[in-house]
Amino acid sequence: MSRTGTVVGAFMASHSPGITGWPERAQPGQQEAVEQAYAEARRRLDELEPDAIVAVSVEHFTNFHLGNLPAFAIATGDSYLGPVTAEMASFLRVEQHRYPGDAALGRHLYEFALESEFDPSLVEGGLDFDENFCVPFKHLDPESKYPLVPVIVNGVNPPWPTPKRCYEFGRMIRRAVEAQTQAQRVVVVGTGGLSHWVGLPESGNINAEFDRDFLARLESGDPARLTDYTRAEIDEAGNGAHEIRTWLVAAGAVESPFDVLVYEAVPEWLTGTSVAAARL
Amino acid sequence: MYALHKLLWDIRRDGAVKARYVEEPDAVLDEYGIEGDWRHLMKTLDFKALYERGINPYLLYFCAIQLQVDRAEYYARIRGEVN
Repeated sequence: MSRTGTVVGAFMASHSPGITGWPERAQPGQQEAVEQAYAEARRRLDELEPDAIVAVSVEHFTNFHLGNLPAFAIATGDSYLGPVTAEMASFLRVEQHRYPGDAALGRHLYEFALESEFDPSLVEGGLDFDENFCVPFKHLDPESKYPLVPVIVNGVNPPWPTPKRCYEFGRMIRRAVEAQTQAQRVVVVGTGGLSHWVGLPESGNINAEFDRDFLARLESGDPARLTDYTRAEIDEAGNGAHEIRTWLVAAGAVESPFDVLVYEAVPEWLTGTSVAAARL
Repeated sequence: MYALHKLLWDIRRDGAVKARYVEEPDAVLDEYGIEGDWRHLMKTLDFKALYERGINPYLLYFCAIQLQVDRAEYYARIRGEVN
């Protein structure tokens, strides 16, 4: 009998377009610190030799809109286009290409989610990437060699799924991985946040206090602390801070403490920027 | 409000809608059934009022970029510094 799959690692990273689009505008040392952290995450990721990556992020009205906005969605495609347009590719300085998908693992995850009494949307194809995946994966997997199962969490329009629900969704992902045999070694990557304001008067502000407190909770590995947020508390760090839900999903998939590889408050990128890796 | 959200999204996603909106905004606003205050606020790019009435700021910002509104001007408008 074949061995069942294992979640062998988890990573989180910010996905501000500035990280790849205009890295040099950050203050001296910040670009280097963030890129070194990404390089360390990439080194750890490669060492894990994953068969597939469950990639969790929001999407910024690139595919979904207010006529159909899933709280959670699981994609089961063979491949994904990113960045979505040539203009966005130029803006992000990421070459437009197709990212490989692990369709079998995606279908399994979708079915397992329903059997586990979660109700994500099914996205069989046509899901295009924006900065959500294109920015972090330019650093984490520049050759796009690892097949992805994209999972989208609504982080862009209220009301949002609760932090606890996001964490539980992550726990379900791990059980799903352990209930199949095709993808033996699976990594979960969450991207988004930390504090930032999109399209709002406060844009360019960073709430470093919020960010550092969130990262301390992440390092502790205590799910009760990590998910103990009200909507108003997250609002204090901007509408973009609601993307921390993607980190909560990834944290739930491993239920472990994390190493914070970098934190930099970068107003020029409009974002509190961090990269973290599960301490497994 | 949904009609305006849909128009903002279509301008972001569909170059043909954007081009037509730039050429003949009234005809496009008619098609989407956007009337009254919403129509006035959209035509005058009153992002601050649109946001305060519940329009999603991501969609406002992305649509502004598509309409070649300068980023600094967008933020001046959302802050109410330009009317």
